[in-house]
Amino acid sequence: MSLAIVLVIAAIVALGTILRLALTQHLQVSRERAGQVGSIRPIDIEAFRNLVDSAEDEYLRQRLSPAEFRAVRRTRLRAMAAYVHAFSENAAVLVRVGELALASGDPHIAEASQQLVNDALLLRRNATVALARIYFALAWPYSSFAAVRVVDRYERLSGSAMLLGRLQNPAIAVRLSAPRAR
Amino acid sequence: MLQPHSLLWHYLWLGPNVLQAGLAIILWRRGLHKSFPVFLAYLAFGAIEQSILYTMDVARLGSYDAFWQAFFAGAVIEGAIKFGVIGELFFHLLRSRPAIAKLGSRLISGVGAAVLLLAVVAAAYTPVVHRPLISISRAYVLLQSSYVIDCGLALFLFLFAAHFKLIWNLRAFGIALGLGIVWSEHMATWTLNANGVWVDKNYLLDFLNMATYHVCVLIWFYFLLTPEKPVPEKVATTSAVSLPENNLDIWNRELERLLQQ
Repeated sequence: MSLAIVLVIAAIVALGTILRLALTQHLQVSRERAGQVGSIRPIDIEAFRNLVDSAEDEYLRQRLSPAEFRAVRRTRLRAMAAYVHAFSENAAVLVRVGELALASGDPHIAEASQQLVNDALLLRRNATVALARIYFALAWPYSSFAAVRVVDRYERLSGSAMLLGRLQNPAIAVRLSAPRAR
Repeated sequence: MLQPHSLLWHYLWLGPNVLQAGLAIILWRRGLHKSFPVFLAYLAFGAIEQSILYTMDVARLGSYDAFWQAFFAGAVIEGAIKFGVIGELFFHLLRSRPAIAKLGSRLISGVGAAVLLLAVVAAAYTPVVHRPLISISRAYVLLQSSYVIDCGLALFLFLFAAHFKLIWNLRAFGIALGLGIVWSEHMATWTLNANGVWVDKNYLLDFLNMATYHVCVLIWFYFLLTPEKPVPEKVATTSAVSLPENNLDIWNRELERLLQQ
């Protein structure tokens, strides 16, 4: 009987979740049709690269006591998570931008949109995995972690957005991230 | 009013099935069977199956046991078709998104295995409530297991689409919404039935099942017969933060300007 109660509660939760997600999707599509997709948050790629630099971690490990290192490492990991979350959110916005642009009659724009959607989806997938690994590392600060793939993917995504932008308006340049420090 | 064989009971059993048979014919005439062939089969089979069961119940055709055996056989075939419908919806969701198609396939396989295991465990722990007529208990447990799997997979579809911010095709969205509602509700009611909760008033759960199914058929009518609105060619975004005066600010403004065109 207890398992039956669990199943009934699970069914009610599933129903509530499905209705909520469906309503959210419906409202979002309505907003997008009205021309409001979302907001892009600018990201300082170089600062993120510094955060995920394993050499810096190694330097800190040698200079700090284990307790201090754990505290600093956790702070850096939380900052890293905030960056990855921003990557993921920006990717989500670009998925919607690309999907709406897919309806364009221009084959070049449609192709660029498809490329943008693919890159944004891959970034969002990688960001999800990266976030899971960051939260894992928060529990075990001595574990090694590399988020370079996320950075690389973000730069590629930036390239796709630029391509779509140029095709939609050749006069305007587009970037999603700050330039590398000179 | 809420009694078996009342006018409302007859309407709620027959009405949605007549409507879904009509919907299947309209979809066929409009050529939508090419996009959703398995869902069309689901509609057609459901209408035929329920009409047979209704006739057997009302006209007292065959024995009580024969009714439940027919019910069981129908549930087995419908269960197989429902898996096909889930696959069809997933195909519509992923066909233009090759970047996550492989991940999606792996995830849905994993989720499918997990909910199958849950369904098997739940079935193993479900008591035999109707000992004199074992076919009733057997049918109840089958439906409980079937809806645990269906509900889990439908929930996964919505969570997957929401996580990746995928835009559903309007018709696929309508089908998924209707199925998600009816499968979640059926999971709860068939679990209660299978475990003998309110065994003396389980006809109230039948009313709930039939009413929910009726609502879902109307949802399918709305989403499948409403023409899709054209998507605006140009969409806008706005920046969430104000940036200091540097190159980044300029690029971001340019991005905004581009996206607002």
